[in-house]
Amino acid sequence: MSAGAGPRAAVLRLAGGLVIAVAWEVAGRASTSLLLPSFLETMRALAALLTGGALWRALWASNQTLIAGFAAATALGIPLGLALGRWPNPARWADPYLNLLLVVPTTALVPILLIVGGAGFAARAAVVASFAVPVIVQCARAAVRQVDPRLLDAARAFGATPAQQWRTVRLPAALPSLLVAARLGLARAVEGMVVVELLLVAVGIGGLLLDFQGRFDAPSVYAVMLVVMAEAATLTVAGRALERRLSHVAVDRD
Amino acid sequence: MISIVGCRKTHRGDGRQPPVPVLDGVDLEVRPHEFVAVLGPSGCGKTTLLRILAGLEGWDSGEVRVHGRPVSGPGTDRALVFQDFALLPWATVTDNIAFGLELRGVARAERTAVANRLIDRVGLNGFARHYPHQLSGGMQQRVGLARALAVEPEILLLDEPFGSLDSLTRRGLQEDVLRLHHETRKTVLLVTHSVDEAARLGDRVVLLGPRPARVIETIETGLPRPRPDDIGSDRRFVALKEHLWNRLKALTSR
Ligand SMILES: Nc1ncnc2c1ncn2[C@@H]1O[C@H](COP(=O)(O)OP(=O)(O)O)[C@@H](O)[C@H]1O
Ligand SMILES: [Mg+2]
Repeated sequence: MSAGAGPRAAVLRLAGGLVIAVAWEVAGRASTSLLLPSFLETMRALAALLTGGALWRALWASNQTLIAGFAAATALGIPLGLALGRWPNPARWADPYLNLLLVVPTTALVPILLIVGGAGFAARAAVVASFAVPVIVQCARAAVRQVDPRLLDAARAFGATPAQQWRTVRLPAALPSLLVAARLGLARAVEGMVVVELLLVAVGIGGLLLDFQGRFDAPSVYAVMLVVMAEAATLTVAGRALERRLSHVAVDRD
Repeated sequence: MISIVGCRKTHRGDGRQPPVPVLDGVDLEVRPHEFVAVLGPSGCGKTTLLRILAGLEGWDSGEVRVHGRPVSGPGTDRALVFQDFALLPWATVTDNIAFGLELRGVARAERTAVANRLIDRVGLNGFARHYPHQLSGGMQQRVGLARALAVEPEILLLDEPFGSLDSLTRRGLQEDVLRLHHETRKTVLLVTHSVDEAARLGDRVVLLGPRPARVIETIETGLPRPRPDDIGSDRRFVALKEHLWNRLKALTSR
């Protein structure tokens, strides 16, 4: 990210944003459709949202689900992935199912989860978790598989117990990939949050969207979308920054 | 100190590859404080032999004893220096050197004190907080050597430790190892495919045949200790090298 970041790049990005905004404005004014508000209308709706209380209440509700679901996904997915990577033979049975989970759109599984679990907070968090778990498991598993066997040999030669091999070699070696796992998982969790609220349980941000949609308030719908996108982008950037700070080797290489 | 009698080992191929017989009844005796150089062509099984001694892998038949006891795993009396260094990339020079002590539960202050002494001893002053990738190959192997010395083993196992270094660096490290052996009287078992290195360092040179390895010949070098700087022009040294060359050539040309 830092590669293209200079005053020049910033100006270019700003210019790009401006072009999009102008194009949007023109298209919005030209269109007679209620479904395409103009850029300025959307910005006015955004300002109203940001100063009112409904958006913040919705964000608070949605993010509770997001945090709980993501935390559960990490707590479950990382140990599971690490174990699958460490013991590939017993893990073989899991392969087809994991691959299936990765390719099947999780959205298709959401109704089943909600039938089983109801529509409460826990069930919504479970949906969010189910979006994030497969990618976290796969990344964590790959992370352990990539650990240099020569380093494990060195640890063993100097008397490392199995627990010490995890602490001194496997986990530090896997750490950068685990952070990537968490970041990708978080992106999927945001998706899960929006899907469950939008498609199935009208609460939080999803509820807000459906509400505005029902009132044909297209500018507000777009404004809420922008807020969700901004949150996802912020989380991703924060995740990247955390990755850079935590992966010692990468930090040291700058 | 080390006693190997009729050691046989076949690497069992995992499914696709056929089994590889590597050691075909190796006999080797190393006395306390002795410096033995095992010389053999590439791929003959030298690393396998050292890994067996280090307790990293088992053998099929025969006896492998250290201090009269059969080797059953890594032990505090032996330390291995790896051909490709095998340093932890995320750990500083200090932490890499102190690795074995950390595994033994030595307190940080004490580990650091030991590491600092060794940094001085192997000539890495000013690099305590560097990471392996910031060091040259020769410096990395100095860390590998210091890491082995830190655990105060009675026996040093050196697996072609200078094989990947340029000749000038190699010569410097060889002299350091000779000095170290002279000062500490540690028992050293070095394996190498370099005739010059075997003759230069060993009290005894044990010649292995091509895979599956057997001991072809054992030669007391009878060269003076400490080795004079001009050993290269010593008639006995030149004759020894000539002899070893001829034997190796005859063994590998078949
Ligand atoms: N884990 C292993 N599985 C199968 N074959 C192996 C394994 N380790 C080494 N070998 C084979 O055994 C032979 C001897 O290897 P090695 O002991 O590394 O030789 P050297 O150190 O003398 O070059 C080589 O042909 C190598 O390919
Ligand atoms: Mg080798």
